[in-house]
Amino acid sequence: MKARPVEGLSPGAPLRPNAARIVATRIGELRALAEPALDPAASTAQHDLRIAAKRLRYVLEITEVCFGPEAKAARRAAKDLQGVLGEIHDCDVMLPRAWGIESLRDLLRTRRELLFRRFLELWREHDEGGTWAALERALH
Amino acid sequence: MARAREVPGLDCEEPFSAAAARVVEVRSAEVFEQAHDVLDTDDIERLHDMRVATRRLRAALEVFAPCFPAKRHRKALKRVKALADALGERRDRDVSIELLESFAAGEAPEGDRAAIVTLIERLRAEQHEANEALAPFVAPKRLKKLRRRLRKLTKAARK
Repeated sequence: MKARPVEGLSPGAPLRPNAARIVATRIGELRALAEPALDPAASTAQHDLRIAAKRLRYVLEITEVCFGPEAKAARRAAKDLQGVLGEIHDCDVMLPRAWGIESLRDLLRTRRELLFRRFLELWREHDEGGTWAALERALH
Repeated sequence: MARAREVPGLDCEEPFSAAAARVVEVRSAEVFEQAHDVLDTDDIERLHDMRVATRRLRAALEVFAPCFPAKRHRKALKRVKALADALGERRDRDVSIELLESFAAGEAPEGDRAAIVTLIERLRAEQHEANEALAPFVAPKRLKKLRRRLRKLTKAARK
């Protein structure tokens, strides 16, 4: 999945306003990709959301020093989302290979369901709890 | 995996391009420090650490893209992506083997064990192939060349 382009970056301008533009774009990307990923069967959407979470996490690892504790909290949230979505992806990759091994398929399906529930909880905690909104405010 | 290293002297008011040079230098160093023994399949965390460091470097190159000469940046990013992909192919097999071995040793029913062992053997063969494909990317000569390329890039960002 290609990253959304960030408009208006300027190499000669200070780091902070440039970083704010990048972070704002990455939060927008994360929000836009979350809705389709909330369908349990939408494995491609969940994979795309994992990549968006990873992008946000890594840009915050570099620039959180400019945006205070809200950025640190968002970076941790993005890392947790990336982790759980990564484990869901591992199940999705393994499932077709486990053809004919019913005990393994059961294990992978059950594991995926648990992980998906964990993902939903995490997403709601941070979206409804205001983690992304707090970071957006800290950008200004 | 080690946390991302802090970038010494990073200042939010310094020019974006100066920050780019600082960050890419640190992220590059992290990759090369993790490059030893990644082909050792008995300790899969080594490869994992290098993979994460490579992803962080790739992210830094993407974040700061406008700060570098376009052609030079494109070439460096292409090489870092190729390295990340080669590491990822091996990592996928490492993770699957680990999961299956733990399942086979624990809760797998007797009747499924032979099929699981066959699947593990198939994945071991793929892990070996992925390692062979990875080997040239982590050869000292290739890494030295990449390091030189990245150094030129950060030098250009400082001009």
